[in-house]
Amino acid sequence: MKDTITTAKVFNHPIDKVWNAISKGEEISTWFLKADFKAEKGYQYTFSSEPNEKGCTSIHGIVKEATPYVLVYTWIVADTEVETTVTWILESVAEGTKLYLKHSGISNYAGDTAIAMFESFSGGWTGCINQLTDYLK
Amino acid sequence: MQDRITQLFKAIADPTRRDIFHALVITSSALSITQIANQFEISRQGVTKHIKTLEEAGLIYFDTKGRQRLCYANATPLKELSKWIRHYEQFWDDSLDGLGNYLDN
Repeated sequence: MKDTITTAKVFNHPIDKVWNAISKGEEISTWFLKADFKAEKGYQYTFSSEPNEKGCTSIHGIVKEATPYVLVYTWIVADTEVETTVTWILESVAEGTKLYLKHSGISNYAGDTAIAMFESFSGGWTGCINQLTDYLK
Repeated sequence: MQDRITQLFKAIADPTRRDIFHALVITSSALSITQIANQFEISRQGVTKHIKTLEEAGLIYFDTKGRQRLCYANATPLKELSKWIRHYEQFWDDSLDGLGNYLDN
């Protein structure tokens, strides 16, 4: 069982523009989830989305590192108390900026919390993602 | 449904159990409890307990060949978990697409 999800994507934009998009609350709120977020070590952030009939989950955590161009924060879904970690790393490349995203600690979802997670993911979470995708269209 | 997922998470939450399961998968053949115990330097009793948890989760099953009771791996239940992890992967992929659109506009 792998414990970390990794993905990478190249954006045809300068590194500072991408950095602002992932680290500034008002920008995060535009493309990702409604955010109370500051790129300051120790900041307790909250991501939330408009509740729907399925009951969207909110995410909160603590910023662990926020020095350009590395952003690390813990990721706790709703009231599961299961801590995972999300890491964003930016790198200047010829085409623009390469973003590496790492989500680790997936195996921490164990036992009872996993059920809550599983349910929130197969129901509410998918709803939230669809909502987000629609919004971005 | 809930019970099955609980058992599954409980089963794979323990590193020794993951190793036992992994060993059964990579040998791609059946092993007896004695063979497993020898590989892991834990007591036969300990192995039996782990095996029971894995069996309850549906990750392994037993078959009797002659006098030996052999243990087989069954990875099918893990599909449910990987389906769940795929939700997350999909979530991040969609989110990064969203970031791309945002940056382009």
